[in-house]
Amino acid sequence: MATFNKHIQIGGPVAFGKGIEKGMIAAAKANPKILAVLEDMGFPGIEWWTTTVPERMVECGISEQNGAVVAAALASEGFVPCINSFLFADIGRAFNQVRQSVCVDRFNVKFIGREGAWGEVGISHNTIEGLGCSRVLPNLVILNPADAVEAEKATVAMMQYIGPVLLRQESSPNPQTIFTDDYPFDIGKAYPVKEGTDATIIATGYMLTEAVRAVELFEKIGLDVAVLNMCTLKPLDEEAIIRAAEVTGAIVTAENASIIGGLGEGVAAVLAENLPTPMVRVGVEDEFSQSGLITSEGDELKAHFGFAAEDLVVAVQDCIAKKERLQARS
Amino acid sequence: MAHSEQLIQDLERKADRLRNHCFTQFCTFEQGHAGGTMSVIDIVTALYLHHIKFDPKNVDWPDRDRVVMSKAHCCEAIYSALVELGVYPEETLGTYYCYQSPFQGHADRWSTAGIDYSGGSLGQGLSFAAGLAYAEKLKMLLEPPARGDTFLPRYILRYAPRYRSYCILGDGECQEGQIWEAAMFASKFKLDNLIAIVDYNKWSLDGPTNDVMPIEPLVDKWKAFGWYVKEIDGHDMRQIVDALDMCDRLYGDNRPKCIIAHTVKGFGVSNWESLHMHLGRGEEMMKGVREGRAKYGDVQ
Repeated sequence: MATFNKHIQIGGPVAFGKGIEKGMIAAAKANPKILAVLEDMGFPGIEWWTTTVPERMVECGISEQNGAVVAAALASEGFVPCINSFLFADIGRAFNQVRQSVCVDRFNVKFIGREGAWGEVGISHNTIEGLGCSRVLPNLVILNPADAVEAEKATVAMMQYIGPVLLRQESSPNPQTIFTDDYPFDIGKAYPVKEGTDATIIATGYMLTEAVRAVELFEKIGLDVAVLNMCTLKPLDEEAIIRAAEVTGAIVTAENASIIGGLGEGVAAVLAENLPTPMVRVGVEDEFSQSGLITSEGDELKAHFGFAAEDLVVAVQDCIAKKERLQARS
Repeated sequence: MAHSEQLIQDLERKADRLRNHCFTQFCTFEQGHAGGTMSVIDIVTALYLHHIKFDPKNVDWPDRDRVVMSKAHCCEAIYSALVELGVYPEETLGTYYCYQSPFQGHADRWSTAGIDYSGGSLGQGLSFAAGLAYAEKLKMLLEPPARGDTFLPRYILRYAPRYRSYCILGDGECQEGQIWEAAMFASKFKLDNLIAIVDYNKWSLDGPTNDVMPIEPLVDKWKAFGWYVKEIDGHDMRQIVDALDMCDRLYGDNRPKCIIAHTVKGFGVSNWESLHMHLGRGEEMMKGVREGRAKYGDVQ
């Protein structure tokens, strides 16, 4: 039986949205300055908003560029506006608005963006480039929670933080419950889910569920693999990444996103500059996603992209082989 | 109430002084957005030196009127007004375009005291101004002033907003789709405290605005979006201040306001006018500056 660290207790699957909704209502109850800026895509806890504080809802309709800049203006007047939509819309469609009108002046605007390779909705909505295009924006903090508990805590932390934040709500199968209710969430801090010596999987978002499932498989083949949860994608917890590389000497990153511009590249940059370490990046290769179903027969997109726990095992074995080749050479 | 001839003449003189301040900025690197700055300068003069609530000693005063310069490449005009108001000393004009200068190449909220919006990427300013106008209404709803603790007594606030939100747009900028998203937003939320002013100088970088991409019928467009529209000559000081007054008087009619100011690109400097100059550089620029200085240089 695998031993996980403190504050980890694996439970059944719960949707990210449930956690975000709980966190949003709690934050909005505590701070009357918080506003819901809608772009015809609903809002976390919308029933509570419409029945309790309808005056704090600003419906902008399907005009994300206007919505982002209106939110910036509301923030400049002391409000804490939060926008909810697909990431390709609230960030992607309004990219220059987010850059110029929000990030340049570090306005206190929050974005919740749904994104990920999974879904029936197809190539337009199963986007995977959001991390790459938003990580380049100065002043923007990016959070990508791994389960509903972390999503709730990240939502509360985001609404309390002063400055622009993007919370990425992944389109994926529902993640398993991984963290306990007293899990201490901190923006900018990675959390070690499990210790190990042979390799480290640095996972973000839903892929932490697959990493946790892979732990059992590793035990069967006699590998001792560490798992590190990276919820904050900007700023990256460089210290934790370097420590993981020092301890295990082999790093596998796992993300439900393009491997270009996301977690894998971020980790690679940190290691290249500090402690060059063999790496394998698991994510979407340079391609778009498409429609796919999850049925009793299996998960079509998980198979297509190689996102299953079994795929992580292969990636870890590859990475350990790289490490051994390197050790043999020196 | 009609304004006295003396006030109009005084503002015209001030506009000439602002032109002169712009020339000083253009000289720094023999470069600047001369055409659009000269077309908007009378409007900026009327706003900053006469119409808006603005305290040069307390530029962050919460009840100040907000001015969003959406065509932020013409920020030289605003910088000139800030110098004229004493927010910055006249020497600052010579640092225009310089590293760490408060007078950056495009208006920047954190670099410059008295600037409400960091513009430059065209088409976004009206959304920001609309957001500011919305915030004014929301604050009055969520935090109504308590008896006796506000700068403006309640009975006045029935007839005037706590602050107004002004937005200066370029005509070429009206080709941006986001302008019309913002126009819908302002209309939906009945932002009668929002006043957009279109500096309709008829030219953008590639040529005549209405050849590049026709924006006409502009008046009908704004009206169709539910705005009150007033057309004026943007170089006639009396018409400008009267139109601004009219927009104030109409507060309470639930309509956002749009002043379409017909202007001339490079106004007042013959070679800039004939070139329809957008961004001026080098000798073209300096020739105009010499002409302008001769014309406006001795205004006190």
